Amino acid sequence: MIEVKNLVKQYGNHAAVDDLSFTVDTGKVVGFLGPNGAGKSTTMNMITGYIAPTSGTVLIDGVDMEEEPEQVRKNIGYLPENPPLYPDMRVREYLYFVAELKKVPRKERDVMVNEIMNRTKIVDVSERLIRHLSKGYKQRVGVAGAMMGYPEILILDEPTVGLDPNQIIQMRELIRDLSESHTILLSSHIMQEISAVCDEIIIINEGKMIACDTPDNLTMHMASNGLHLVIKGDVPVIKGALRTVSGIKNVVYDEQMEEGTLGLTLYSIDKKDLREDVFFALAEAGCPILEMHRQETTLEEAFIALTKGGSRQFGGKKTAKKQPKPETTADAETAEEMQTVESANAEADTQPEVQPEQSQEETMPETEASENIQNDSSEKEEE
Amino acid sequence: MFAIYKKELKQYFHSMIGFVFLAFFIAIIGIYTWANNFYGKVGNFETTLSSSTFLFVLLIPILTMRVLAEEKHQKTDQLLYTAPISIGRVIIGKYLALITLFGIGVLFVGLYPLLLRHYGPDSVQLAPAYSALIGFFLLGAAYIAIGTFVSSLTESQPIAAVVSFLVLLMSVLVSSIAGALPSDKLSQAAILSVVWIIVAAVAYYMMHNITVAVILAVLGEAAIWIIYAVKSSLYEGLVADILNCAALSSKFDDFTLGVLKYDVIVYYVSVAFLFVFLTIQSIRKKRYN
Repeated sequence: MIEVKNLVKQYGNHAAVDDLSFTVDTGKVVGFLGPNGAGKSTTMNMITGYIAPTSGTVLIDGVDMEEEPEQVRKNIGYLPENPPLYPDMRVREYLYFVAELKKVPRKERDVMVNEIMNRTKIVDVSERLIRHLSKGYKQRVGVAGAMMGYPEILILDEPTVGLDPNQIIQMRELIRDLSESHTILLSSHIMQEISAVCDEIIIINEGKMIACDTPDNLTMHMASNGLHLVIKGDVPVIKGALRTVSGIKNVVYDEQMEEGTLGLTLYSIDKKDLREDVFFALAEAGCPILEMHRQETTLEEAFIALTKGGSRQFGGKKTAKKQPKPETTADAETAEEMQTVESANAEADTQPEVQPEQSQEETMPETEASENIQNDSSEKEEE
Repeated sequence: MFAIYKKELKQYFHSMIGFVFLAFFIAIIGIYTWANNFYGKVGNFETTLSSSTFLFVLLIPILTMRVLAEEKHQKTDQLLYTAPISIGRVIIGKYLALITLFGIGVLFVGLYPLLLRHYGPDSVQLAPAYSALIGFFLLGAAYIAIGTFVSSLTESQPIAAVVSFLVLLMSVLVSSIAGALPSDKLSQAAILSVVWIIVAAVAYYMMHNITVAVILAVLGEAAIWIIYAVKSSLYEGLVADILNCAALSSKFDDFTLGVLKYDVIVYYVSVAFLFVFLTIQSIRKKRYN
């Protein structure tokens, strides 16, 4: 079990990690998600004891890393962002060295090295110089090194970075395989990987935790109740028809649309299903619906909304001032929509997993968000 | 610790540095032995060793430049410092590997007096030759500790090599510099006060705290000049004495005379210990930066 309490790492005046607290329970696979520079690697370096925290504690199975470093490190296998490999060693030689370094008893070394090479599928390169290996193999040798001695906890910093799609799938399988017998903390900015293998996701940005929940919950609570429509007909007629539908909270119009059609996204109050009402209203008005689909929020969108799009909301006062509104409207459309959704959700009070930062925000961005929509040649309708 | 030791030794011979070091070491001492003992027809191996001490200035930096700088550069230090082994043991393992490599060279050179004796059993004194060899080994061990420390300060091998080279060169030249400095009391005090201002400036650079640095500078300067006013005789030859403390290689001269001086042995061993300790501290401190 990893317990991180009020962890702070200060570099000069800049806090790379700012009062971070979380717990990784035994046997869980936890994904550590955040944009570059969010403090993921710094946090992992502190958990493994490579760097010392400015303040705060890391407890591994209840033992403080700063007090009993050698005992604690026995239980941790660490794969840093750049696998710590010696290019002038052969793979087998390297793994024997790591085994010895991690105090694997001499008798068990042969068996363990061979077993780990089998599991990480590096047997065929075991006699090659690490220097000559491809990135994918190097990464796997790094994982093999982290597994050596079968530590209870594995900390993997971006294990799939720089791998090709096949290798990513293999790595994911390996991680899933490992998760059966290990507690894993893994960082990434690749969503499939996280959603595929993790029981829980911790999203951090600018050294602070933004969200911590299961992947399903994260996407579900973030889920937009948006309904995207492409309707044929005159704009005033369509608008008039839509006004008769109850339960619409706001409408965002597409910027680009086919001639003679209107594209828009409807957001309902309390996730009410608008589809039938909208269909009948528009049918009555004689405006055929060319397209209608529900918008699913992916983890990507949740991530973007929480970190990038949300930096105005979550980044504190400084960033709020620095980031002018036009910039946000210029941002990815999804991010823009997500903000709307968020405010909608916030109003509907359906975000139980939000972190403290967000709760402060709830009062603030409401008006701004609606301003944004109007800026974006859209209008807000309320019933 | 033993794992690190073995890995280091292996790496020295994988990366050629080990062979290159040994080859140069043995070859250059061989050339000196030839020139001094065979060609010059002198039986004193200790004088040969004495003139070969300059070799350290060139070879030790090449040997020690990669020892910690390379780990940091390749980020393999993350493996070492997150392994269930203390930083101290990592450093000591590495230092012992360096000493072993150097020791192999010294052992090889240890055959030379025997070889000389084969040609002139009467004129070759083994006792002074081997006591000089012991001094030679300890001097090298102290230099290696200094080189290791320099290597821990940077992640660039060339910088480590150049800085170690300069530091070792200074330690060789320092006795001549000490002799060239003015020896009257006033200039001794003046030199000390300038040095103290530099110390205060370095302190400011490291701590970014102007008040502490100024207080440090003022107190130090006051102490220097008050002592000068009260008891100026203390300054007699002070700078030269201080500088001579740092002159590692000039202490070797005693060995050349065939004297196995314990104070010099203790001195070399202490320097080695001090710099290994400083290396450990410098790596530990990095965790907090």
